[in-house]
Amino acid sequence: MTPAEKTGADDRLKTLFALDEPAARDPVFSTEVMARVMRRRFQEDLAFLSGATVAGGAALWAIWPVLQPVLVTLSQGFAPALGVLALGACALVVVGGRARAALGLAS
Amino acid sequence: MILTSLDESLVAAAQGGSAEAFSRLVERHQQAVRTFLRRACGNWAQADDLAQETFLAAWSRIGRLKTGASVRAWLCGIGYNKHLTAVRSASRDRVREASYQADRDDVIDACSEDKLALEAAMAELPAEQRACVALCLAADFSHAEASEALGLPLGTVKSHISRGRARLLQALGVSDDAS
Repeated sequence: MTPAEKTGADDRLKTLFALDEPAARDPVFSTEVMARVMRRRFQEDLAFLSGATVAGGAALWAIWPVLQPVLVTLSQGFAPALGVLALGACALVVVGGRARAALGLAS
Repeated sequence: MILTSLDESLVAAAQGGSAEAFSRLVERHQQAVRTFLRRACGNWAQADDLAQETFLAAWSRIGRLKTGASVRAWLCGIGYNKHLTAVRSASRDRVREASYQADRDDVIDACSEDKLALEAAMAELPAEQRACVALCLAADFSHAEASEALGLPLGTVKSHISRGRARLLQALGVSDDAS
């Protein structure tokens, strides 16, 4: 087989192989892949957050006997101030929302 | 060169967590991966499933991809390993080999006798040889790239391609005195 014939045979093989090639870009395939990737990412995030929540809960449970007296003491001292701050925050949300609506900024 | 640097920038962005960049990598390389897997395993539906799993695994392992490495060779390597894992399941293997030609008949009904002969010959090649032929004769991979993708020594790849090519040409009725 001469080099020219060899190239011809390879071209013939390539042409036959090319007959059933999938499309260069298949949106359905891409969408399915990315949906699976996003699902995987969500599952990983969920697993991480679940683990962090369980670990945080366990830590809180472990230190609760020490933490509780401290919190009781602090809450008695800061209760008035926290109450005022909470009322202020509520007022800001209500008034702020109305003001934005009046200015046509609310979506 | 420009395409390679585009791949590199997309890989860098995907390594930083960009799903959009990864989506573009999927778009750019889906044809190479799907074509390779279709030829390697013969069953189109299974090949597309494996291609999806390949990209899913690639998303998890993108951080391990070295700068400057061939993305399509890396993806085809992951796909090939997934294919081998599937092949190792004996029952699946038997079903796949038995249905190889049957699956093709629906798809290539209108194709020539040559195409059918080529598909039959591909089905008879050993898995490694078929993978080498699928990459180098059908998809323009260099021998070195195929060697990297399949994890085979360069000499083995060359030998597989030479033998596979001879068998395919024989099936097509073309004499191959060069081999």
